[in-house]
Amino acid sequence: MKETHALIERIKRVNATHQRLYLTVDPALAQLKAGQSVLARVQESWLPYLRQQWWPVATEKNALIIERPAAETYTPGQIISLIGAVGQPFRFRRMLRNVLLMAWRTEPTPLLMTIAPLLGNRIGVTLVLLGEAAAYQVEHLPPEVEILTGDADMNWPNRVTTVGWADQVLAVVPEHDELDGFGRIWALFNELRAEVPANYLFGVFRPPLPCGVGACQACIVRTRGGPATNWPMVCTDGPALDLTEVATWR
Amino acid sequence: MAVRITRPGKNSLILETPVMPAAGTAGYSEAYRDLCDLDKLGAFVTNPVTSAPWTPASGTRVVPLEAGVLIHTGLPNPGLSRVLALHRDKWRRLPLPVILHLVLTSAEDARRCMALLEEEDAVDGIELGLNDDLPPAEAARLVHVAVSCSEKPLLVRLPFHASVDMAKAIANAGADGLVACAPPRGTARDAGGRLVAGRIYGPLIKPLALRTAGLIARSAGIPVIGAGGIHSAQDARDYLDAGAVAVQVDSATWITPHLLELIARDLGGLVITQPSGALPDEWHPGMGETERGQRIGGSTTQKDAQNR
Repeated sequence: MKETHALIERIKRVNATHQRLYLTVDPALAQLKAGQSVLARVQESWLPYLRQQWWPVATEKNALIIERPAAETYTPGQIISLIGAVGQPFRFRRMLRNVLLMAWRTEPTPLLMTIAPLLGNRIGVTLVLLGEAAAYQVEHLPPEVEILTGDADMNWPNRVTTVGWADQVLAVVPEHDELDGFGRIWALFNELRAEVPANYLFGVFRPPLPCGVGACQACIVRTRGGPATNWPMVCTDGPALDLTEVATWR
Repeated sequence: MAVRITRPGKNSLILETPVMPAAGTAGYSEAYRDLCDLDKLGAFVTNPVTSAPWTPASGTRVVPLEAGVLIHTGLPNPGLSRVLALHRDKWRRLPLPVILHLVLTSAEDARRCMALLEEEDAVDGIELGLNDDLPPAEAARLVHVAVSCSEKPLLVRLPFHASVDMAKAIANAGADGLVACAPPRGTARDAGGRLVAGRIYGPLIKPLALRTAGLIARSAGIPVIGAGGIHSAQDARDYLDAGAVAVQVDSATWITPHLLELIARDLGGLVITQPSGALPDEWHPGMGETERGQRIGGSTTQKDAQNR
């Protein structure tokens, strides 16, 4: 964990709604893995007050590539304060053939960094974009990724097959109502599968993170059983949490 | 620069630097170990601890505000006994006094917790967190019970709206020092449209809390630690000018972790001046030893820095 400064080297528009920032960063941050993020402070003022959680979509030598909404304005040469790495890398099973990535009513950005390494290991990747997420334009993604779109009620073509083929699932939902969103996804998978095993269905949690280091405890997620000490914090133990353990809606 | 933050006496708490994190902002011990040089601080104040385990609040816990944030965590913690078991060894290794922030709900709680803490050598002092709605007489009674059960230095963090009368009542009940004051409570609408109640943090709190701290420091008769909205070394100095003997830095640590060390260095007389011949990337105004150590290598301790 470091507090460092990064330099925006260049900015590239990738589709109608998103741009990518190429940041020159401290070498430690260029080692980020899929699932890890940084907390960014764009300007010296206290507006906005909290740092923004920025999700990398790729790394290069001493560079981090971040995807941000196109509506935000950045300039090459701009200095950004970063705290990171926040969170743990996504963990995948050993025997893996197909991974299902789901974005429900939000952009799939936190999931995208995992695509290249999965494809590199000859693992199939399906990206399902549901509701408002279907508006995310995917031309810049590798052609090997199977893209499916569906409605906000989580209907998409051949969804029984898609879910049946998946060996592991990572899902993102709108930040402001994660428990409701993940509860719906949990209900869907319980409907489509006879059993939802452990280490199969993961929610990628993205609550506002005041500190990002486990100090403020605002991002604790209540899980099944156990004393409070065992409850995970999104900033240190997440962002991906096994939805069979997150018991709020059970 | 030694600062006494409690009444004079055999168990008085004396700090090297008049700066510490506020309860609930720096975890139990190790959250900021990579981002802040803890041995530059005067003391470490832990996250709130209760007698029994408390669960986290359900629903929205963080509402970003204009130049601030509203937070409602529910003070999740595994209970005093478990916290001591988990963190005792880490506290012993810290190079500074540890002040445990204790939230009490009853006199029985106070007796049990203080008896436990009296035997605990890893805890150097106790900061009592009072319920905002507790009447002054009730608060004073709770403090009296706590004081009578332990000889450890006892600080009491006052609610944001605390009056001078309340501060005096608590001082008369035996508190060794006061913290003025806890973040205010407020209500805001979250991104999903729900109203959420919680504590408010941000720079705007400082002028409000500074007034309270000044009033109480002039009349309480015991040392007062200023807290609320500190976001710069000048903010911290304002509290000292108003009569506080030390300060607690709260949410600024979350946004710019090095600020906590910077304020401690500034108020502790440890500001790094520009070394002769330093290149532009080797020094900048406000640079802390942690950062300088990272840039030019080597240890970051005061002793090593002096030897260098």
